[in-house]
Amino acid sequence: MPLFRTRALVLRVHYLSDTDKLVTFYTERYGKIKAVAKGARRIKSKFGASLEPLTLISLIYFGKEHQSLYRVNQCDIVEFHQTVRDSLATCFYALYFIDLLDSLTAEGQTDPNLFMFVTSTLESLTPEQNPELLCRIYELRILALLGYKPRLEQCVKCGQFPRSHWVGFSYNSQGIYCAPCLDGNPVETRINLGTLQYLKKLLTLDLNRWSRLKIPKGSEEELEQFTHRLILARLGRELKSYPLLKQIIHNY
Amino acid sequence: MKRPSVLTDLIQELKRLPGIGQKTAERLSFFIMRGEKLRAEKLSAAITNVKEKIVLCSQCHGITERNPCDICSDERRDRSLICVVEEPHDVYVLENVGEFKGVYHVLMGVISPLDGIGPGELTLDGLKARVEAGGVKEIIIATNPDLEGDATAIYIAKLLKANGVKLSRIARGVPVGGDIEYADTVTLQKALEGRTDMG
Repeated sequence: MPLFRTRALVLRVHYLSDTDKLVTFYTERYGKIKAVAKGARRIKSKFGASLEPLTLISLIYFGKEHQSLYRVNQCDIVEFHQTVRDSLATCFYALYFIDLLDSLTAEGQTDPNLFMFVTSTLESLTPEQNPELLCRIYELRILALLGYKPRLEQCVKCGQFPRSHWVGFSYNSQGIYCAPCLDGNPVETRINLGTLQYLKKLLTLDLNRWSRLKIPKGSEEELEQFTHRLILARLGRELKSYPLLKQIIHNY
Repeated sequence: MKRPSVLTDLIQELKRLPGIGQKTAERLSFFIMRGEKLRAEKLSAAITNVKEKIVLCSQCHGITERNPCDICSDERRDRSLICVVEEPHDVYVLENVGEFKGVYHVLMGVISPLDGIGPGELTLDGLKARVEAGGVKEIIIATNPDLEGDATAIYIAKLLKANGVKLSRIARGVPVGGDIEYADTVTLQKALEGRTDMG
């Protein structure tokens, strides 16, 4: 039986029995996989803290290729993201990020760029900076990396660059409509041109410089509603972690 | 030949229990069938009693036959010290140690964003009310040392910070009988942070 060796991010952990855990990983080389960690619930388990969600590990697992369930052989912690865990707000944002990754990806679809992007985002998450903007970048970029990038450059009907102060957006068509093309088209929301520019910027912004970008409050709210509806349209359901994230941010 | 329906019913019910599959359920069913009638009656009565007589303590939310529970109604217990645990069975795990002389508060779960469990699903209002009623000096947070347990501990610390009680978290580190060589970096880091003075 072959051994697989890769870096992986721990997404989710379920108790499988009194001693075992079923762990969902997003791996750098093999995409999303599920593996059983035998004896991981024991207090003297060799896996220790390495199978905690949000942990970046160096993973060795085995099993037949394209099998649905593998067995964890060994894992060593690369990054535990302790600062993210120490703050309730950043911890909830990070859990929302991995919940989104888990929901949008299928098992076995390899995408090293997506892995790099998610791990870089978690590294950029700090309690000192407002993670709300990073959350918008993450939502837009993860959709873009998975092939669901919204078409924001030209009107999806006429192909022209919009000249009015606002544009229409259809979540079904995943693109903008300029004002003259709105008639008879199922436009679900309107976006100001200023917010549209911010959306385009967030799709290309360097992750090391995200905190330098300042967005007016009004546009920030519009961006949040837009990205949230974009994700709802893709998933067809609300993620469990999202309302809790909003609740925690509101209370603290 | 078809199996008797009463035996099939028993197998089906036993299969619902965690960790019990078809084969184990069949083995248990035949064991009960072949055993003494009195033993089967005792098992049946024990299951019924658990469902009928066990209630939640109105003070600590632990499981008990009498409300308030034996711990909460014990006058010798130190009520200024509350140990916060996740589940009712954690109370018995800590009681087996025999060291803790305070009282407990069972949260009935932990904050788990990935499962959609928020602070509203826990018994945090009850805990806050106990602290606000006065007389509490220290809260020991004994949730599991995992992501959800730590998030719950941080939430409780923020919730009760304004009440002026001392808040502490159970120690984490290398288990007794464990080997430092095989401990992971995070566990060792926690062990060093939580080191105790021997002088």
